[in-house]
Amino acid sequence: MLEKPTWKSTLRGFLYLSPALLILITFNIYPIIRSFLMSFYTDYDYFNDVVHAFGLDNFITIFQDPSFLTALKNTGVFVIGVVPISIALSLGIAVLLNNKLKLAGFFRTIYFLPFVTSVVAVAIVWSWIFHSDYGLFNYLLSWFGIDPIAWLNDPKYAMPSLIILSIWKGLGFNIIIFLAGLQSIGKQYYLAAKVDGASAWSRFTNITLPLLSPTIFFVSIISIINGFKVFDEVFALFNGRPGPANSALTVVYYIYQKFYEEWQFGLASTAAFVLFIIIFIFTIIQLIIGRRFVHYN
Amino acid sequence: MKKALSLLMLLFVLFLAACGNTDGDDSGEETDSSASADTGSEEPAAEESTEPVEVVFWHAMSGPHEEAINSFADSFNEANENITVKPVNQGGYDDLEQKIMAGAKAGSLPHIAQSVTNVVPEYMNNDFLIPLNDLIEDEEVGMSEEELTDIIEVFRESSSWDGTFYSLPFSKSTRVLFYNQTLLDEHGLEVPETWDELREVAETVTGDGVVGFGFENSFESEFQGILKQLGGTYIDEESVEATFASEEGIEAMTFINDMIDEGIARTAGEDGYMSNPFGRGDVAMYIGSSAGIPHVAGAVEGDMEWTTAPIPALDGERATTFAGNDIVLFNQGEEAEQKAAWEFMKYLTSQEVTTEWAMLSGYLPVRYSAQDSDEYQTYLEENPAALAGPEQFDAGFFIARVPGGDAVRNIVLEELDYILQDMKTVEEGLTSAQDRANEALQ
Repeated sequence: MLEKPTWKSTLRGFLYLSPALLILITFNIYPIIRSFLMSFYTDYDYFNDVVHAFGLDNFITIFQDPSFLTALKNTGVFVIGVVPISIALSLGIAVLLNNKLKLAGFFRTIYFLPFVTSVVAVAIVWSWIFHSDYGLFNYLLSWFGIDPIAWLNDPKYAMPSLIILSIWKGLGFNIIIFLAGLQSIGKQYYLAAKVDGASAWSRFTNITLPLLSPTIFFVSIISIINGFKVFDEVFALFNGRPGPANSALTVVYYIYQKFYEEWQFGLASTAAFVLFIIIFIFTIIQLIIGRRFVHYN
Repeated sequence: MKKALSLLMLLFVLFLAACGNTDGDDSGEETDSSASADTGSEEPAAEESTEPVEVVFWHAMSGPHEEAINSFADSFNEANENITVKPVNQGGYDDLEQKIMAGAKAGSLPHIAQSVTNVVPEYMNNDFLIPLNDLIEDEEVGMSEEELTDIIEVFRESSSWDGTFYSLPFSKSTRVLFYNQTLLDEHGLEVPETWDELREVAETVTGDGVVGFGFENSFESEFQGILKQLGGTYIDEESVEATFASEEGIEAMTFINDMIDEGIARTAGEDGYMSNPFGRGDVAMYIGSSAGIPHVAGAVEGDMEWTTAPIPALDGERATTFAGNDIVLFNQGEEAEQKAAWEFMKYLTSQEVTTEWAMLSGYLPVRYSAQDSDEYQTYLEENPAALAGPEQFDAGFFIARVPGGDAVRNIVLEELDYILQDMKTVEEGLTSAQDRANEALQ
């Protein structure tokens, strides 16, 4: 079926690819290259595009900046807090929804709603839920005799609040992907397992999990990348501040501060580039692990 | 292959061309029907040039404030046949600043824009602006000495750097003390006039779900105010050096921190701004921007009586920060456009317009003659909450406007937070903030 590549077929191939390529090159690849270069500009007139000095100073500066280190730490905590719980929860819910459930369609819609709602609107509602005096959350906790918690005012609880919001927000998307994965698993495996007398749990661990592994792999990569890029939720939940005492300062928030608030274009690019490298490394690690555990057939 | 490449290039060019065409004429054109209500008794000076000129004005005002701006532009356009001013709302202050940044990079800046005073040094530094001295001193289109000194001193000073004007004041505000009259009456208390009295009042009224005093999340203004009252300096504008970790700074911050630690004061925190907790009656007094008066009016529940007072004094010393927005003139337009834009800037700061703007928006009038006008005095009688602002003109100051000021602000807010959260002592926090600030200012 495969033809030998000729100039003509290559050309045709490029023509088909060109719309996507054009957009990717202009809006992704070119900016990535530019911001990579900009991270080495230590004395830079951004507006006239004149570079007065190059060097590694920006890298030294940000790694000596306590705020950047806080941002790295917070982002790490955020990813570790959100991704595993979010995947486990959404997988569980997806399995439940995949069963012949009354009102399954209704629940799918319900779970998907947070994903399609604007982050800002969601964060405003949650900032009321988390409110220390008037919030629903503390009201519920008070039934169990737990004292009100200053979710958004206390640096200890700011990150957990952000994690709770983000898990809730991301569930819908993951569930939909898992549902699609679950539905592509052939019924015959389950039937055969039932004939052999396998319990529901062993059917889940021996059939569902291995056959769903490509989907789990995909969701985990997407979730980790999204986790590292968190910004909107922080901005909206804490009224345009990075949480009390920088407790919810993430790397992207740091980039935003440097670029838009402080006019430090070189430092912002450096931070962006460091983030790119971190995400890149994590994705490579995942690909290596994935090769071992993911079954594509 | 060559063909493919050239085709790709063509596509690319077309694509870019399509992108380049989209700016400009989408928003801000809504003309209000009430616009014909011409207010000025004195018509704005007519332009000489015969070519029609369009002036684009970016601002961050919405709702009734935007309507007011549109009506100013309409009456200006009517009086100046050849000039069409087009006000364009760009979202909030942050959005406006970001769009100016992008506009400067892309070469598509407007002619004039509203701008937070603190960011003007960045605009100057990156050469976006036209210094206004030549225009002000120009015999034909300039301002007379009288007209210039009629602008309120603190605003005149905050618009000039080393004697050069880079902006004209527009939407200005100051910090005022909001207090719950009903609650103070119940306790038989007077409005505090000094910080010590404020502390006592806060202590007395705290309890029963009420916190005595509230600081905005931007309480660095109060820190700067108390520091100034004690005789300290926040940032020295000449030497561009932060000096707030002084003895005075520590005293000022200790005062604030103690009140919060003792539970007789709180910050706005999760509420964003103090207007809501104050309006609900959770907080008896707070210090915040005079631009917040309409928000407080909107947030007040029940029949609680409230009003404002000037900022408390310290050892007879008064000091309060003035902040807000100016109008700046960008250098990317044609000369005729710049001249026309200057006319509109002058018009916006004219006595009639600033008076009307102050009455419509709650911002401060920028001219003494506007402050003294019968219209404005009547307005003050009807809106006693607006009284405190203009009363403090003489005690007004503004913090150093230096490039890197926003970086310092982020550092200070962070370190002050560590102090309030008891993660650092006052001295540690301030020293660390000062060191980091000085590094950022270099």
